[in-house]
This record gives sequence, structure tokens and C-alpha cells, in this order.
Amino acid sequence: MSAPANRPRWTRQLRGLIRKDLRLELRTRETVVAMVLFAVVTLTIMQFGFGTRDDDLTRFTGGLMWVTLAFTAVLGVGRSYVAEREQGVLDGLLVSPVPRVLLLAAKAITIFIYLVIVEIVVIPLVGIFFVKGPYWDAIGWIALVALIANVCIALAGTLFSGLALFTRARDLILPVLFLPALVPVVIAGAGATHAVAGGAYDMSEYRGYTLFLVGYAILFLLVCVATYDAVFDD
Amino acid sequence: MPDPLIIARGLTHAYGDRRAVAGVNLDVAPGERVAIAGPNGAGKSTLLRMMATLLRPGAGTLQVLGEELPAGARRARLGIGYLAHNPLVYLDLSPRQNLDLYADLCGVPNAARRIDDLLERMGLLARAEDPVRVLSRGMTQRLALARMLLHAPRLLLLDEPHAGLDAAGTALLDAELEATAFDGRAAVIVTHEVERIGAVADRLVVMRAGRVVLDEPVGGRSPAEVRARYEGAIA
Repeated sequence: MSAPANRPRWTRQLRGLIRKDLRLELRTRETVVAMVLFAVVTLTIMQFGFGTRDDDLTRFTGGLMWVTLAFTAVLGVGRSYVAEREQGVLDGLLVSPVPRVLLLAAKAITIFIYLVIVEIVVIPLVGIFFVKGPYWDAIGWIALVALIANVCIALAGTLFSGLALFTRARDLILPVLFLPALVPVVIAGAGATHAVAGGAYDMSEYRGYTLFLVGYAILFLLVCVATYDAVFDD
Repeated sequence: MPDPLIIARGLTHAYGDRRAVAGVNLDVAPGERVAIAGPNGAGKSTLLRMMATLLRPGAGTLQVLGEELPAGARRARLGIGYLAHNPLVYLDLSPRQNLDLYADLCGVPNAARRIDDLLERMGLLARAEDPVRVLSRGMTQRLALARMLLHAPRLLLLDEPHAGLDAAGTALLDAELEATAFDGRAAVIVTHEVERIGAVADRLVVMRAGRVVLDEPVGGRSPAEVRARYEGAIA
């Protein structure tokens, strides 16, 4: 019999969980590819649906982008526990000495990474499809608000996908729970994007929306920490 | 006498209105190998899942490895090895990647060496980098065995452990269970294979309708005698 395990460090546990999710994604390429394709197709449909390149859609840019990202997030979040559920691995994680909140944190970080990959494609594409006037100068500001919004989306998504995991109609329940939680993110993300896209540079408006998103992220973080043990017990 | 690794008193769990486990009292001492048998729906797996910290006791008390559950569940998990119906491994990862994950989760020291040792012992070293999906059922079950043993748990909880195991895996499992009798670990084995109980356990607990109806040593009994005692208990 070998030496028993030490009390594990949470950093090692978190790293192991994230590495596992990324390895699974690299092996299967199911989630990120689907998310990117979905976002590109949605934006393309909107581009055709809203008119030709001659029409100025700049004032709709924020809304178009964030509605697309919200639905893309639902797609990604819906797949976040697929491997555990379909392959029956959840008990293996739960019987390990892992704080439940680390399971949330690992999934949230994975979703955050997936969203960043999607946004690397979506943010420039939005500029090409919809914006007349300066956009590329503002791309850093848009990326910043996207990163903050990603934290909100990842935390809310992981919490609700964890809750939906133990229900029979999980594919229906997840969007019903998750999309309303995304409404403030879409409003603030669209507002912040609109404030800087097309050369507007209303930094006061941008700052207001961004701070709102920071507050929303903190709120969801607290909710997750307070409830996540209960989500996975029994 | 050393403290028991499991102490259950009046342990109860219900699914809705149905009581799956109803007032079970059970002690498991270091070095003991306890087989739990019973007809389908007797509450065996529910009892095992409570011991594994996967279900909260509805009523009664349960102490595992000196930790009162559910409060001490996380500390207890450090010493629990759980083998379930499912192998609890990711089919799209390789055996090594799966063991890497569980080594991280359980804080296994010198993980790379420990993983290599286990893969070799389980006869999986040559397939260590293949996705589990392409391994045979027997190989996958041997990987599950390696996963259970990875962090050198003091308490082995096994649910139908021989199901799906090939001959090599069965020999490895039986050797591991035999070793528990000598090194202070303990094992609780839920099984339908009554004839095998004498070979893998030294105590038989029979459950029926959520209750323990027989609890006695099986040392020295023939498979036929064990079968007769079991059938007498569930009649």
C-alpha cells in the first residue's frame, strides 16, 4: 500500500479540473466550434435580415452583438456538464475531496475561455457587418466590456447549468432560467458597446454600464459561493 | 480494539415516500471486509452511497473514518475509494489523463510515478494514451480500479465490483480485497454474487426492504453454505 494522499491544495484541484475540460474540448472539438459557427451564422443572418451594407446599422451594433453572444452562451453553457452527465462521471468528482465551489469555478473559467474565443471572431465581424465609421479604435474598449460581461455570463451559466443538471427537462429549464439572468448583461453590454462604437466615445455612459456589469458579476459570485454546495448535495 | 471506520446508527434514507434504507445499524472495523447482499431494491446501493458521502442520511447518524456526516464529508472523502456501476472516468480522455485528474483532485504525492505504477499493475501501460472510449469493458473496469486505489484510500466502497471485470481484473481486485484484511483498511462490497462472498469478504450483511436482516461472519463457510444462509435470510 502506498502513502495516502495529502490534503489537496485547491489550486491543484482547480488546475486539474480546468485542464480536464480543455483536454476534453481539444479531443472532441464539440463546444467551441459549435459556438463560433452559431455566432457567425447568427450574425450573417442578421446582416442579411437587416439590410444591405449601404444601410447604417451602427446604432444597432451593441444590441446585435450582445443578443448573438447571449444565445451563443446558452449553447455553450448547455454543454458544460454533458460529459459528466452522459458518461456518468459526476459521482467520481463528488466523491473526491473537492470543495463544490471549485467545480463551479472550474466550469466558469472554462466557459469564460470559450466565450473569449467566440468574441475574438464576433467582435471584428460585427465591425465588418454593421458599423459605418470608426470602430477599430474602440475595439479595446469593447473587448474590455466583453471580458467583464463574460464573468457574469460564466458565473450565471455555471450556476444554472448545475441546477438544471439534476432535472429531467434540463434542456428546457436551462434557457428558461439562464436567459432572464442575461437580460441585464445584454442591456449593459449593448449600452457600453453603443457608447464607443462608430466613433461616439461617450465614456461616461461607457463607464456607467461597465460598473454595472462589475456589480452584477460580484452579485453572481456571492450567489454562487452561497448556494453551490447545496446544488451538488444530494 | 481500534475504532471502527464506519459507525451507522438508525441510518435512514427515503426517495419521496419510499424508504430505501430504514434504520440500519452497522459497524465496520479496520481490516474487515463486509459484503452486503440482498434482492433488488433492498437498499444496498443507497446505503453504500451514503457511506460514500454521495447521499445525505435522512435520519440517524453516520460516521465514516472518524468524521460525522454530512458535516465532515470533505475530510472523510480523503480516505474513501469508491467503485461504482459506472467506471467514473471520462471516455474521451486517456487512462493517464483520467488518473492525472483524480490525482490532482485527491492531492496524490508523486503522482506521475504512482500513475505509472498503477497503470502497469492494471496491465494498461501500453494503452495509457488511448482514449478510454476505445478500450475494452474489462480494461475500462481495471482503469476504474486504478482510479479507486490511486490515493491509497483507507476505506474501499465497492458496488458490484466484479461486474464487467475480466479475469485479470478480477484477480487484481480479489488480491486488493485480500490485502485490506492485513493492512488496516476496510472494504464494503455490495454484491449479487452470493457464491463469491466467502472468497472476498469475511462478514455477510443481508438487507431486505431497507433493513439488515442478517449480519454474521462467513469465514470458513462454503459457497453453498453462504447461499443457504442468504436465502434463509431473505425468505
